[in-house]
Amino acid sequence: MENGTLNHGVDTGSTITIKGILSLLMQNIEEQTSKKRVISLGMGDPSAYSCFHTTHVAQEAVVDALQSDKFNGYAPTVGLPQTRRAIAEYLSRDLPYKLSSDDVFITSGCTQAIDVSLAMLAHPGANILLPRPGFPIYELCAGFRHLEVRYIDLLPDKGWEVDLDAVDVLADQNTVALVVINPGNPCGNVYSFEHLKKIAETAKKNKILIIADEVYGHLAFGKNPFVPMGVFGSEVPVLTLGSLSKRWIVPGWRLGWFVTSDPSGMYREPKTVERIKKYFDILGGPATFIQAAVPRILEQTDEAFFKKTINLLEHASDILCDTIKEIPCITCPLKPEGSMAIMVKLNISLLEDISDDIDFCFKLAKEESVVILPGTAVGLKNWVRITFAVDSSFLEEGLRRTKSFCQRHAKQLLRY
Amino acid sequence: MERWNFGANREVMIAPSGTTVRGVLKKIMENLDKDDPSRPTVPLGHGDPSPFPCFRTTVLAEDAIVDAVRSAKFNSYPPTMLGLLPARRAIADYLSHDLPYTLTPDDVFLTMGCAQAIEVTIRVLACLGANILLPRPCFPSYGAHASSNNLEVRYFDLIPEKGWEVDIESIEALADENTGAMMVIINPGNPCGSVYTHQQLKKIAETARKLGILVVADEVYHHLTFGTNPFVPMGVFGSIVPVLTLGSISKRWLVPGWRLGWLVTSDPNGILQKTKVVDCIINLLNLISHPPTFIQGAVPHILEKTGDDFFSKIIDILREAAHICYDRIMEIPCITCPNKPVGSMFVMVKLNPSLLEDIIDDMDFCLKLAKEDSVIVLPGVALGMKNWLRITFAVEPSALEDGLGRIKAFCQRHAKKH
Repeated sequence: MENGTLNHGVDTGSTITIKGILSLLMQNIEEQTSKKRVISLGMGDPSAYSCFHTTHVAQEAVVDALQSDKFNGYAPTVGLPQTRRAIAEYLSRDLPYKLSSDDVFITSGCTQAIDVSLAMLAHPGANILLPRPGFPIYELCAGFRHLEVRYIDLLPDKGWEVDLDAVDVLADQNTVALVVINPGNPCGNVYSFEHLKKIAETAKKNKILIIADEVYGHLAFGKNPFVPMGVFGSEVPVLTLGSLSKRWIVPGWRLGWFVTSDPSGMYREPKTVERIKKYFDILGGPATFIQAAVPRILEQTDEAFFKKTINLLEHASDILCDTIKEIPCITCPLKPEGSMAIMVKLNISLLEDISDDIDFCFKLAKEESVVILPGTAVGLKNWVRITFAVDSSFLEEGLRRTKSFCQRHAKQLLRY
Repeated sequence: MERWNFGANREVMIAPSGTTVRGVLKKIMENLDKDDPSRPTVPLGHGDPSPFPCFRTTVLAEDAIVDAVRSAKFNSYPPTMLGLLPARRAIADYLSHDLPYTLTPDDVFLTMGCAQAIEVTIRVLACLGANILLPRPCFPSYGAHASSNNLEVRYFDLIPEKGWEVDIESIEALADENTGAMMVIINPGNPCGSVYTHQQLKKIAETARKLGILVVADEVYHHLTFGTNPFVPMGVFGSIVPVLTLGSISKRWLVPGWRLGWLVTSDPNGILQKTKVVDCIINLLNLISHPPTFIQGAVPHILEKTGDDFFSKIIDILREAAHICYDRIMEIPCITCPNKPVGSMFVMVKLNPSLLEDIIDDMDFCLKLAKEDSVIVLPGVALGMKNWLRITFAVEPSALEDGLGRIKAFCQRHAKKH
């Protein structure tokens, strides 16, 4: 038992969340009573924009499930059997083996799946390898579970690939897992089959499992198709995390999953399964009627809806890259290939009186009512994260204002 | 098999060793005789009346959600993880009806059902390094979350002979300067079916204040009372002692599957704010999940527009069911009921195994009852009281009669021959 005060995660100063920083930035705008409309390129939530909306099939599936009156009661804590089965089938379409419904546990969004994975792996003295830049919820959950965090850099010059040499150096016998976010948040990359295979081999060599955060699964529009890490599940056990939130544009519905993609059965050991089930017994799962709608949502959403989203994202990413090219103090190492965000580098030395990425973002918010996320929030100082899952007119105007901000703050060239 | 760094044999930090109601019921239900289709199972073990037609929620609530879904305005993340402002305001107003002061939206945090409110409460206490006092018998989720978070628990007694009153002396005996950051009071009572008086609650509040601990008031069964004692929220005594009020729409609206609950600071002196408990709650809520945005969106309509006729109807059915339950139990020699239930959906009854042949204890009783008569009840050991049973009466009255009849027959069959 821990002794003394357990402060992890409680120190207000250190609990940076993306939403926390974004709301500070927004407050900065309000205080200035700006006449410009606020443009937020900060959140991975396109549902507020008219061009991005979920499919009618999904909405009606939920309405029907509710009105059937059959789903007002508690669901089994691991999830409704039909939901587990439907997700197993959906994910198995892209795997060389079949998942069983016993491999699938229903969570309230991918965020709860993250909490569950870390809770299940934590043990005294354990550590976990997180990508940098990454998604800050992992740090927060690790803090609450007393898991030591070690960072593995993603390499901007190599398409944000995982620094596998660093894994070999940092992993030790107390390392429990490596977290891989693919398609990538915040970087917008989609890993190739070859790179994913190398990651799997490295994890296996170090005897650690992989937490594959695939919340942006299938949102890939570049040269690499989306390949689920579960494809390598027989090499190394994989915990796959995902949800409806991004592909169906319904982050507010809180329907996610925690899946053991582990055909050789490491995670099917009875004691481990028991432990997972017992933990789920004390959690509150997602609303039963939303679970009940999932089979229909997964089976009946047609390709046209998915294609439309991909096209919108691809078009937006083109606009983004083209405009960034015109801004001298910002460089984009990788055109986005997937997900909804991109990391771009600030060249602070080309700017007058801007000290770092946080300063940049606060001044941008104040002067132009544009909100983007300082890279410090995701582990990379002097970079910024821009989300592009917004209406293209929004994006264009936001980038136009950013360009104008950069011009205004550009260092004056010395005249000879 | 290769050795990996993770695995079930490693000593784990998150080792949920506590029981949950669902966990225990699962075990009992495994004992059901699946080859007997002639007799439907009578579920008198859990607190979920929603499968029964007489316990249908109000159409008004369903329509509010349908409208929210179809508006397509609630598919996004809510602006804050603490809950949509209109929902928090509506809950603040709803709860303030029964309080001598007004709650503000800032006092209200939305959770996925009362279950998550319990999780947050325990995890917050664990963060602050405190420990807790729980009643015995108690709803087991408190203990399960406590063990999952390495939080020490001490139990105080509820006195069956005195309407399941809190044994104030046992609380005072448990507390010293290192113990008792909080005590949990479940009112209306689960599992006991009791409803505390204003006087009893005041005494509890004063005791907590004397010991310098806060009160967690689990009021998930708020307003589900049908005896002489009306429901009095612990928040009424919020100026005597800080109160964390837990609740949800699950029981009063019969929709436990919707997962819409709340954690509320009933603390007009702002002590929970000053002692950083509120900060801790907010930090935790920022990283765990929240109720679906469209359900939050429907909350104001549900709370403001549901008519008293719906509530009265449900209370009448529960009252009738409670009577049936009590009367039938009185006819069974090996079971005694110290207090007629006057609230919630449950009654705790005492089993006398010595009057039964080859039944060792409450768990054995429940396992055999499931197998032989397809009736599910919860063994008291799950709640900290061995050789007691918790029986749910929130089922269709005909199913209740059937189930209690089968229990009586089971007891007769197993009665010791003299």
